[in-house]
Order: sequence, then C-alpha cells, then structure tokens
Amino acid sequence: MPDQSGAAPALIELDAVTKRFGDATAVDAISLAIPRGELCVLVGTSGCGKSTTLRMINRLIEHSSGQIRIDGQQIRDVDEQRLRRRIGYAIQSTGLFPHWTVARNIGLVPRLLRWPAARIAARVSELLALLGLDEDEFAGKYPHQLSGGQAQRVGVARALAADPEILLMDEPFGALDPITRESLQDELLRLQARLHKTIVFVTHDMDEALKLADRLVVMDTGRIVQQGSAAALLQAPANAFVESLLGGRDRGLKHAALTRVAERMRPLTDAQAGGPAVDTLGVSADDSLRQALSLMLWHGVDSLLVSDTQGQVVGSLSLQDAVVERNTRA
Amino acid sequence: MSWLRRSSAPLAWALLLVTLMLLMPRLEEGFRLIAPDARTLIYQRDSFASLVANHLLVVGVASLCAILLGMGAAILVTRPWGRDFLPLVSQLASIGQTFPPVAVLALAVPVLGFGSVPTIVALVLYGLLPIVRNTLVGIQGISPGVMESAHGMGMSGRQILWQVELPLARPVILAGIRTSVTINIATAAIGSTIGARTLGDPIIAGIVNGNTAFILQGAILIALLALCVDSLFERLQ
Repeated sequence: MPDQSGAAPALIELDAVTKRFGDATAVDAISLAIPRGELCVLVGTSGCGKSTTLRMINRLIEHSSGQIRIDGQQIRDVDEQRLRRRIGYAIQSTGLFPHWTVARNIGLVPRLLRWPAARIAARVSELLALLGLDEDEFAGKYPHQLSGGQAQRVGVARALAADPEILLMDEPFGALDPITRESLQDELLRLQARLHKTIVFVTHDMDEALKLADRLVVMDTGRIVQQGSAAALLQAPANAFVESLLGGRDRGLKHAALTRVAERMRPLTDAQAGGPAVDTLGVSADDSLRQALSLMLWHGVDSLLVSDTQGQVVGSLSLQDAVVERNTRA
Repeated sequence: MSWLRRSSAPLAWALLLVTLMLLMPRLEEGFRLIAPDARTLIYQRDSFASLVANHLLVVGVASLCAILLGMGAAILVTRPWGRDFLPLVSQLASIGQTFPPVAVLALAVPVLGFGSVPTIVALVLYGLLPIVRNTLVGIQGISPGVMESAHGMGMSGRQILWQVELPLARPVILAGIRTSVTINIATAAIGSTIGARTLGDPIIAGIVNGNTAFILQGAILIALLALCVDSLFERLQ
C-alpha cells in the first residue's frame, strides 16, 4: 500500500496557512506538503508555532486563513469529529482517561466508530502486542498504575487504534527520562518501518528530531525557516538560528550520529591488504559513526574492526575513514 | 470491621430515627425531667411519622429541583457557547445562599401563599450554591490533557460530557449535593412558620408555648434525619 516514491502526491498539504490569536500571529503563511508515509518533524523553540500548526491539522485550532488539505480535500469541508476519528493523536501528557482501563482507553476511537465489540477486543489485543505490553498484565490496569513510558505506549496505541493513515504527535516523549525516551524513539522507528503511517511529530529536542525525521521542518516565530532531510540541514543550515538549533560546534557529532559505519568502512579485502588487524575492538556496521568515534576516543585507538549483524568481521574503519569521506578525499 | 461499621451506619441511624419517632409518646416521663411545668409533654397535633414524611417530601422536592437547576446551570456555563455566563451564574448562586431563607419565605408568601410551595422555593435557592460550585469545580478540575485528547480523538460534546466530564467530576458533585441536602434538612424546619408541615412544627409550638420538651422532640428527629441522609451519601461517595 505505501508508495514512498517521490512522485506520490502529498497526503497533507498546508497552503499559506496563517493563525492569528487576536493581534498576535502565531503561524504566518506557512506552506508545507507532507507525502504519504513520511515522518515529518516540526522542530523549533517554544512559541514558534509548531504545536499550533499540528493542532490546526485536526482542527483543534481553526486556521485563520489559507488552506489545509488532506488527500486533496479541504479539512474545513469535513465534519470535525469525523476528521479527528481518522487522525491518530498522541500528546505529551498522554491524556489517558483516568477512570478507564488501558483496554478501554485504547478502544476509544473504534468505539466511537461503532466497531462491533469483538473487533474492538481483537484490535486492542493486537495493539498491546504491537507496543510490547503484555495483555494479561496491562489490559485491566488503570492509567495511574502505569509508569510514564508505559502510559505513553498506551497513548500511542490509542492513537493507532482505528488504523488511521495520519498520526499527529505533540512532544509525545517530552516528559520521559532520557533512557525511556530513547527506547520509545526506537520503538516508533520500528513501528513506522512496519506501518508506514504519515506522521507529523512536534518536538523541541533537536537530537530527537534528527533521529526520527525523514524530513525536518525548522520553525521560528511562526514561519518555516528551513526544511529538508537531517543530513541536508546539517550540511547547509540556512542561517545562524538553524545552526544554533543544530548544536553549533556539536554539529559534526550530530552529523556523525546520522551516518552508519557501513558507509565509511573499508571492506575486508582492502583492510587485509593494508596490513594486520589492529586489535579485537569492534563496532557493528549498523552503528553510527558517532558511536565508532566514541569507542576510538575511549580506548585510545585509531581503527576498529567492523562486524555485520551475524558477528562476522566485514571490514575496518580507521580514524581517517571516519573523519573524511573517501570520495571527497580523492 | 471498618467496612461493617461504614456500611451499616445509615441503617443504624434510620433504625434509631424510626424507633424514636414511634416511641415518642412513651417518653413522657423522660421529658418531664426537662420541662416539669408544661401541661402537655408530647407534641400530639400530628403524628411524628407524618411530620417526618412531609419533612422528607419538602426537602426531597427542593433538593431534586436544586440538583437539576444547579447541575444544569453549571454544565451550561462550562460549554463553549455558555462560557460568557460563567461569572453571572456563580454570582447568582452565591447570592442565593447569602440571602436568608426566612427573608425568602417572607417575600414568597404574598406571591405563593402559605404552605409547602414557598418553603420549597426558599430551600431550592438556599441549596443551589454548593451544587453549582462543586459541579463547576469538578468539571473545571479535569486535567487539560484529558480534555484535549477527548476532543482530539473525535468525541462529540455530549460524549465528552457523559463519558468523561461527569464521571470524573462525580465525587466532587456528590459532595456538593450532600452538603446541600444536609443543610436543607435542617433549614426546612423554618417552613413551619408559614404553614408547611415539617419537623419544625413541634419546635415552633415549643417556642410559642415555652415548652422545651416540644423543641427537643423536633430537634432530635431533625438531627437524626440529617445524620441518616448524610451517612447514606457517605456510602454513595
């Protein structure tokens, strides 16, 4: 079903969308096209209009002017409740209903859509399994009995319940501790690789944005400052604001975090020709360059063996390889 | 053990109330100690059972009206289109309670005549505030995240009210109703001054005739009635 080729028409289109609150302009004539199956991250400092933009898509906030279209249809022309039932929505505070069990919370939208009870029950089991929550343990629990990470998983499950094409996520992992946050980010990427939803994700955490985004949209004072892939933004930030958001002098490491070791390593035959293997320290080909650099720094070595997922040595990575891209060197 | 005590409290109060209500005529010797000079010692113009029943009826009707009006008004002004009336409604409810019920009675008699109806009007006004205020607090106290996701999931206004707001505000609203009903059980006694038949009858008669025994009989039964209803609400909450 998902067609991720660039030719696919955008599922969500914003066309010169403006939102004014009284005299203040929160969102200023932004245009944005999000293709089917893309994970688009809106990033910026607080008050830049990213949350407002997100909430205009499911009409929790009505836009003042411009057009927002989903699948070519103006959202103003759709009944707002019907619109929202087609769009998954997950927020930082989870917003789980405290008087309902986990299972009932997850089944909310299917119930609103009047699915038969058996189908709802089956869907709830499926989602609990999908998010790694044991059904026997969690289905009957109440939200106050869950940890922050578990509650957010339930929140995501609820957003996915009616299998919506679009998922809106408003800083969903913002209130979690770093370790839980990272594991939920991995989880989201794993889910997205399987489900190919069109996701609009709001965050102020640039590392999170760089990690998750197919496309990054940097916003400042209600406007889009720059958009593109993470690598493109790192390579050529449009202005000082984007550069500072990208971490200024840490940019190199952030870029390294996006590059896989496999892209820079020398394949095995090459390494053998170059001389004996240095030591037994190794990284996986799927690890990031940043992790490889960190290992080198920590162990005081200037080259590492690279292994594949089966643990088979497939190549080597020298400091030189890691720092300078080979084709640009020649 | 504590469960047993809790659950049986309303029953115990009710039993005590009925026993005293029926045995009142036999307690003449006891009341002689309190009011040795009085000629009649037991209030006998109406049976205590019919006074209790009528007292409950007056309070019941008044409370039902206060609940419907109070919750209704509070729900209306927490809807998006009713928000402008929020300050007005909370002020009106406060005024209702600061206005002395006796004054309401005095003002109501020329319009509504004597009897139970003006009493009920006074009680409704007096009992509104706790219900309005607690319903407002209960609904407005729901976490913004819960309300946002309720809207964001595509629930209709009515679904949000019945499935989210009222269930979550329930304990607070019940506390308000409890306060309102309990206060009104005591306040209903003043209805007797304008001819409503309530447990205030023996009290008024006692004051007029200087008969302490009458006053006590009315007061004891009112207190027991209030305790009985109050403990019922405690179980509900």
